[in-house]
Amino acid sequence: MPVVGKNLPHDSARGHVSGESIYVDDMPPAKNELIVDFFYSPVAHGKIKKLDLSAARKVPGVVALFTHKDLDGENLFGPIIQDEVLLAEDAVHFIGQPIVVIAADNRAAIKKARRAIKIEIDELKPILTIDEAVAAKSFIGQTRAIRRGNIKEGFDGAEHVIEGTFINGGQQHFYLESQAAVAYPGEHDQLVVHSSTQNPTEVQEVIAHVLGLGQHQVVVITKRMGGGFGGKECQATHPAAMAALVAHKTKRPARISLSNDDDMTVTGGRHPFQNTYKVGFDRDGRITALSAHLYSDGGAFADLSPAVLGRAMCHIDNAYYLPNVEITGTVCRTNYPPNTAFRGFGGPQGVATIENIMEEIAAYLKKDAYDIRTLNCYGIDDRNITPYGQVFKNNYLPRLFRELAERCHYKKRLEEVKEFNAISRTHLKGISMSAIKFGISFNTKFLNQASALVNIYKDGTIQVSTGATEMGQGVNTNIRQLVADEFTVDPEDVIIMPTSTEKNNNTSATAASSATDLNGSAAVAACRKLRERLTECAAEYLASQMTDIEKSPGNIVFENGLIYDNRRPDKSVSFKDLVVIAYHRRVSLGERGFYATQGVDWNWETGSGTPFLYYTQGCSVAEVLIDRFTGDLRVKRVDLLMDIGRSINPGINRGQITGGFIQGMGWVTTEELKYSARGELLSHSPTTYKIPNIQDTPEIFNVDWIENDDNTLNIKGSKAVGEPPLMLGISVWTAVKHALSFVSNGKLPKLRIPATNEEILMRMTQYAKHPGAGDEQLKQPALLP
Amino acid sequence: MRDYLLFYVNGQEHRVGGQDVFSPLSTYLRYGQGCTGTKVVCAEGDCGACTVLIGRAAGGTVEYMPVNSCIQFLYQLDCTHVVTIEGLKVEGKLNPVQEAMVDFHGAQCGYCTPGIVVALCSLFDCKTQADEQDVKDALTGNLCRCTGYEPIIRAGMNVALERVRSTGELYPPQEMIARFGEHQGRPALIASEGKTCFIPATVEEAVDFKEKNPGTVIVSGGTDVCVNINKRGLDPDVIMSLSNIAGLSDVKVENSHLVVGGRASLAALADWAREEMPELYKIMWLFGSPQIRNAGTLAGNIANGSPIADTLPWLFVMEAVVEMTGPAGKRLIDINSLYKGYKQLDMAPGEIITRILIPLPENNETIRLFKVSKRQNLDISAFAAAIRMTIEAGKIHSAKLAYGGVGPVVLRLPKTEAFLEGKEAALTTFGNAGKLAREEITPISDVRGSKDFRLQLAENIMLKFFLETACGREPVCR
Ligand SMILES: Cc1cc2nc3c(=O)[nH]c(=O)nc-3n(C[C@H](O)[C@H](O)[C@H](O)COP(=O)(O)OP(=O)(O)OC[C@H]3O[C@@H](n4cnc5c(N)ncnc54)[C@H](O)[C@@H]3O)c2cc1C
Ligand code: FES
Ligand code: FES
Repeated sequence: MPVVGKNLPHDSARGHVSGESIYVDDMPPAKNELIVDFFYSPVAHGKIKKLDLSAARKVPGVVALFTHKDLDGENLFGPIIQDEVLLAEDAVHFIGQPIVVIAADNRAAIKKARRAIKIEIDELKPILTIDEAVAAKSFIGQTRAIRRGNIKEGFDGAEHVIEGTFINGGQQHFYLESQAAVAYPGEHDQLVVHSSTQNPTEVQEVIAHVLGLGQHQVVVITKRMGGGFGGKECQATHPAAMAALVAHKTKRPARISLSNDDDMTVTGGRHPFQNTYKVGFDRDGRITALSAHLYSDGGAFADLSPAVLGRAMCHIDNAYYLPNVEITGTVCRTNYPPNTAFRGFGGPQGVATIENIMEEIAAYLKKDAYDIRTLNCYGIDDRNITPYGQVFKNNYLPRLFRELAERCHYKKRLEEVKEFNAISRTHLKGISMSAIKFGISFNTKFLNQASALVNIYKDGTIQVSTGATEMGQGVNTNIRQLVADEFTVDPEDVIIMPTSTEKNNNTSATAASSATDLNGSAAVAACRKLRERLTECAAEYLASQMTDIEKSPGNIVFENGLIYDNRRPDKSVSFKDLVVIAYHRRVSLGERGFYATQGVDWNWETGSGTPFLYYTQGCSVAEVLIDRFTGDLRVKRVDLLMDIGRSINPGINRGQITGGFIQGMGWVTTEELKYSARGELLSHSPTTYKIPNIQDTPEIFNVDWIENDDNTLNIKGSKAVGEPPLMLGISVWTAVKHALSFVSNGKLPKLRIPATNEEILMRMTQYAKHPGAGDEQLKQPALLP
Repeated sequence: MRDYLLFYVNGQEHRVGGQDVFSPLSTYLRYGQGCTGTKVVCAEGDCGACTVLIGRAAGGTVEYMPVNSCIQFLYQLDCTHVVTIEGLKVEGKLNPVQEAMVDFHGAQCGYCTPGIVVALCSLFDCKTQADEQDVKDALTGNLCRCTGYEPIIRAGMNVALERVRSTGELYPPQEMIARFGEHQGRPALIASEGKTCFIPATVEEAVDFKEKNPGTVIVSGGTDVCVNINKRGLDPDVIMSLSNIAGLSDVKVENSHLVVGGRASLAALADWAREEMPELYKIMWLFGSPQIRNAGTLAGNIANGSPIADTLPWLFVMEAVVEMTGPAGKRLIDINSLYKGYKQLDMAPGEIITRILIPLPENNETIRLFKVSKRQNLDISAFAAAIRMTIEAGKIHSAKLAYGGVGPVVLRLPKTEAFLEGKEAALTTFGNAGKLAREEITPISDVRGSKDFRLQLAENIMLKFFLETACGREPVCR
């Protein structure tokens, strides 16, 4: 019986529920181990005048302090543009930028040393908003563009035009396990580093780079992460490099584990965007032209910002066909920690921009936004080419829109919402359907590769190592099921090993939802080669056991852990026995598999290409209830319907959908980052940064997907599911916008992301107090004194 | 005098003195005992990853409740039994709660999972069945970033209840109770490296110690103090933990007063309110989380004196009386005159709060309590209000209003109260009262909300009160 498609538990579930799973900070301390932490910039922008470490060195328990001068390699690095330093040299660019690495025997000494470091900084005026960055022309990389059709004709032909500004705030990953690493020094300057990272290869490379070592001297191992969400794609590197620095210099094991407050303060998150748009449409609401300029807040260093912006630009069309379009985008350099990958990777900002526009066209024309969306939805045979020229194949969106609307009685409930709002003086309701079409693959072509190592042992059990890292998303469980099926063995006989740069070299980050696609394919490729050898061996062996058949590998069948020649199914050999036979015949029982996605390509010069192998799709209907006096928001009901191809593990996919949705809902509702006018993050712990609570889950929450097996391009007809559902959370926000349209006096209801109770109440108050006021354009939220 | 703490961890006796006494339980478990199943994320009670069960002797058995081990310091845990995630398997096998979490994909990255499992086990310690709301209520103190909670809720609703064995069954209480009995009546004084901790057994000992050691920081539930130690640089040299003082933990009605003991937990108050005062229960349900309510006390909420303390607006309009016990005996003070400024109380160095007396309202009174926070549950108020009125024949006879989050202390609104009294209970009256209320307050902008937001809430809450209470004659839509 195949196990692909079965709802098996997560391979770590039993350890998780009993507290036995080991995370980096749970690894038993080694003798002599040092605790590592760092001293960081207290100002957002300035020149370091003087750094005095003498008092800190005297703190009992402090073993070493390191600055950039102690790096034997290069301080400067960066995944796309090399503009980032591990330790500040003469300037600081954000509050939280590391300056001094501290190593001590105990945590108390670290605290004291941090306080004892004296620094004098000449403060410079920081850039703390996108507006300030634009005014100062403070950008990262160049402005990019995607164009199609004739934008002028598109607007000339439009009956109506709306112009507006879209603003979204950032988001903290809030992985529960903070950034952490332990580094063990070895012989000949070698290092073994256990890191909570989505990207062991990058950690390895950066450690070698900053310490002046060869990459072959550094092994990075990742057993698991207590959540990543993109936050450990690039930014796990810094703490790991600090631990490595200490281990390398002191020859003692060194451990770092950031406090939650520090983690939130010093690492970046989802990019705030400020987008201006102009959309032309006809009387029915059909879009004739869209021009938009996207500005993202990249923070102080490039990190992955250019790539995030690229994905935002490739997702502003979302589910909708834009005949004439001009999208430009610029990354702003500001004095915040560098913003980075976060589940969706720019997709959410692009998608929210157009879903916002859909809601506005509907409010403008006084039509049902559902009708506007379906009218503009990509076609199956025509109107099916994206602005960047990729043909949208296997388009399930029209069906998803229709089917979900019927299933959740959208039209009837819309009428009920209208009636409710006409009667209730205390509350306001809104209902909205939004969609997602999310492109799967890294936009950067060369990242679409993976390798796997499969070792079969003499008792028939199997170890698999891939470049994928496990952060809860279940990639290991998926790969386990894929591998078990290749040999028709019990999945319990397959273990997915910790990710190690020693087993798999030059791996890509576990990101872009594609870990299973890439690494699962590589693992299967390895299994196929092994299976070919075992088939040969079985054919020979079985033929030798029987007089009536000749050796014929083509007749060999693997089934339920037994291998037989289909001409004599009664005579079989168990997998375990076959492995022993193969071993004795000196057949190799280990294999490496490699996979590179075919047919994807992208060109920034032309803003076009076929960046995605396929699209994961879905729709969501959210109904919200708002307190007219407090702005408090409750999500009453959510219905999701997705196309995720065929599931390798439906239970794991379901968890990705519910988790992604709620995380997206958090971004658009309660997760608000508050900064001071000094550029300091004030909401740096769960006390003030509010991710959704269990009580915030929708009162009714229906999750489903359609049956579909036409994704022949990907492993077992599956589709990536990690990121797409996050963007369905946007329906909660568009539902708030819909609710506000009932009180906005016929004007377009403006709303920022996140729609906190304050944001909602202040909008409603403005409508009530100034009924005649015109459409107000959105501004960035104020910084606190 | 006793110079050590006695407690149990997963059935094993621990006697601890010295520096360890001054560390959080989570640190002791993770770094001292190698019990790394207990996770620490926020170290301030706001995520639940560190949840453990604390058992205390009560009525011949040991009663368990979930608390945040990051803000329970060992000196608060004398004579308790700590059960961690490592202590919940049954005969080496996963228990039914753990099995359900496995089967329903309740764990993804697993970092929140130990805390969730502990909190869920506690739910089934006292419930023989649980509906969706019960599961949500049990897990309000546990954040999960991965699952979106839905799989956890399904796990919680699919526990094989017939096989559940309560914590009390897993750990026979007799020996522990005997040991606790031997110790609880004996005060403990532990000094190490310049730090001193006193655990009195009686109010008299407490008052005496506090008078002699004026700098003493009292720790009750620790949900304010321990956060200040972990996060705000509070580093007290002398600590007095009230956890062993007997006879102060009751919540009961006496002489038409609700009488809450100085050690009574917020959970005990919530339990009482559930049936007896649903409006108060509404606010208690929003107060922190089960873990916070189990540890935190009403006296602590009062003594901490925050302008956003959720019980204060209610206590203000109820004109509650606080009983202080000091070297000179007992003294009663109206809560409305207790606060002198931001976190400044009319409290002498030798005094502790021993009881809170709340006059019960008359039947014809309308009392409504409001809390506005960015997130509905497990969040600190941006704004809070209590409105108490008697309205007869459409006329407002008396009005008492208290707002929190609008100034350095919780405020009564005398001008607005005076304006309302005698007026017709009509929409315009409340609209005007709201405008007046804005004038009486001085909110600031901070991370929880802007000044304008708070002013608007101060105005709107009057209308909300009118439209949502019987006098509004409006359908209450929720
Ligand atoms: C995660 C979290 C959520 C929270 N949520 C809320 C919330 O929703 N609403 C809210 O109002 N508060 C909230 N709080 C704050 C806190 O829980 C309450 O203020 C609680 O009532 C404090 O009680 P305690 O027993 O824990 O006080 P402790 O921390 O032990 O003490 C608080 C103060 O009171 C003093 N004190 C305590 N008992 C006495 C006594 N008997 N006599 C004299 N002085 C005494 C102490 O010396 C200290 O100064 C929250 C705290 C946390 C950590
Ligand atoms: S670690 Fe977050 S509540 Fe204790
Ligand atoms: S499973 Fe990752 S935080 Fe809950």
